[in-house]
Amino acid sequence: MHARWLTAAGALASAAAPAAYATQYMSVEEAQQEAFAQAQFEELAPPDAATAAALDAPVGWAPRVFTARSGGALRGWLIVDQVVGKSERITYALALDAQGAVSLLEVLDYRESHGGEVRLAPWRKQFVGKTVADPVALGKDIRNISGATLSCRHLTEGVQRLLKLYDASLKTKHPSSP
Amino acid sequence: MNPVLRRARPLLGTLVEMRVEGLREADARAALTQAFAEVGRVHALMSFHAPDSDLSRVHAAHAGAEIEVDARTHEVLTIARLVADLTGGAFDVAVGAALVNAGALPRPRSPFTPDPAARAGDIELLAGNRVRLRRPLWIDVGGIAKGYAVDRAVELLQVRGATQICVNAGGDLRCFGPRAEGVHLRAGDGALPSRPTLELRDAAIATSATQAAGVHRHGATQAEVAPGLCASVAAARCVIADALTKVVLASDARTSARALAHFGAQAARHDPRSGWIRLENAA
Repeated sequence: MHARWLTAAGALASAAAPAAYATQYMSVEEAQQEAFAQAQFEELAPPDAATAAALDAPVGWAPRVFTARSGGALRGWLIVDQVVGKSERITYALALDAQGAVSLLEVLDYRESHGGEVRLAPWRKQFVGKTVADPVALGKDIRNISGATLSCRHLTEGVQRLLKLYDASLKTKHPSSP
Repeated sequence: MNPVLRRARPLLGTLVEMRVEGLREADARAALTQAFAEVGRVHALMSFHAPDSDLSRVHAAHAGAEIEVDARTHEVLTIARLVADLTGGAFDVAVGAALVNAGALPRPRSPFTPDPAARAGDIELLAGNRVRLRRPLWIDVGGIAKGYAVDRAVELLQVRGATQICVNAGGDLRCFGPRAEGVHLRAGDGALPSRPTLELRDAAIATSATQAAGVHRHGATQAEVAPGLCASVAAARCVIADALTKVVLASDARTSARALAHFGAQAARHDPRSGWIRLENAA
């Protein structure tokens, strides 16, 4: 093991903080392929206001819902959603199989800001034109952070809401068997 | 050229991030899937909450019964006992009943009432991965299992042939490979320093903070550890780094230094007034 502190023993300098930190892990397309390789995807209309209200969703909630099919047969759904915590915003993909069971849960994008605002973004455009070669992506901005544990409570709540969305709407509108 | 692959999933109550280099993309994806599954498995085995975890099975049996657990649970309990022995019980996984009483954990299904005097030393670790409670107690490995899960993931990715690896479970991180990795230490909700605080190569670091008052106590003396403190420990294995952060938070300087020296570990402490201070170890 090798550990080298980058300051002398004693007080460690606490330098000024950057405004924000962001990492992109996967694109929507990569998540689709990870969950349902070789499938055809079709994006459905976003949940309407009544559905959002019934699910007690936060303002701006607009998950992107895709069906995944192979040769016409439904393989499942891929839902891309965003949750906002006190200082972080997480975009994630939830894959459900044809029976509605969770088959994959991946974080696509993590963004945090201390002192700035991390609002629910009008993010349907967020991934447009974004590729793995994007500067925010792989290898360019690697930061290993050791600090107080991040809570993923908001993400857990977001997943619960999507599972209710499945029960309330996807299951009946897109039955897996006729 | 082989890609750098990064993935993050919510596990262990936090975000677990993994990065691998040196594998073909398909192999890297398969290895990461396996490593995330291993983290999930460690969580399922050692959860205080899940009714079918190894710990819940121990709690649901009568004290004195021999319960066979997974080899991984047995190993975590073995390490926990070693750290308890080295620190005069400052770190003690028999803390379950105290955390239940403090409202930090739910009451488990259990036929017995824990003995307030019971300690980690009352967890007998027998051959064949069996566990026996010499006195009634509830085990909570929340202070050590996250680090252990990180170790398991890194070791698995090594076996799969990754040449540079970093696994970070909400600040408990370990890296492997020839390249040194910069690590930014963050205390509490504080801002991220703009430059790395230290660099690691083939090493782990863990950071723990005391949050609510009344929850964090010295395992043997029950003296309360003040909220708002933070400690980081660098060690060869993340499970050791994770456990020693609690020792640094709860113990006097001599006990901390002795435990750090035993494992060849290094530490820093943070409080709101002084900022980060590096600790001397006795070595």
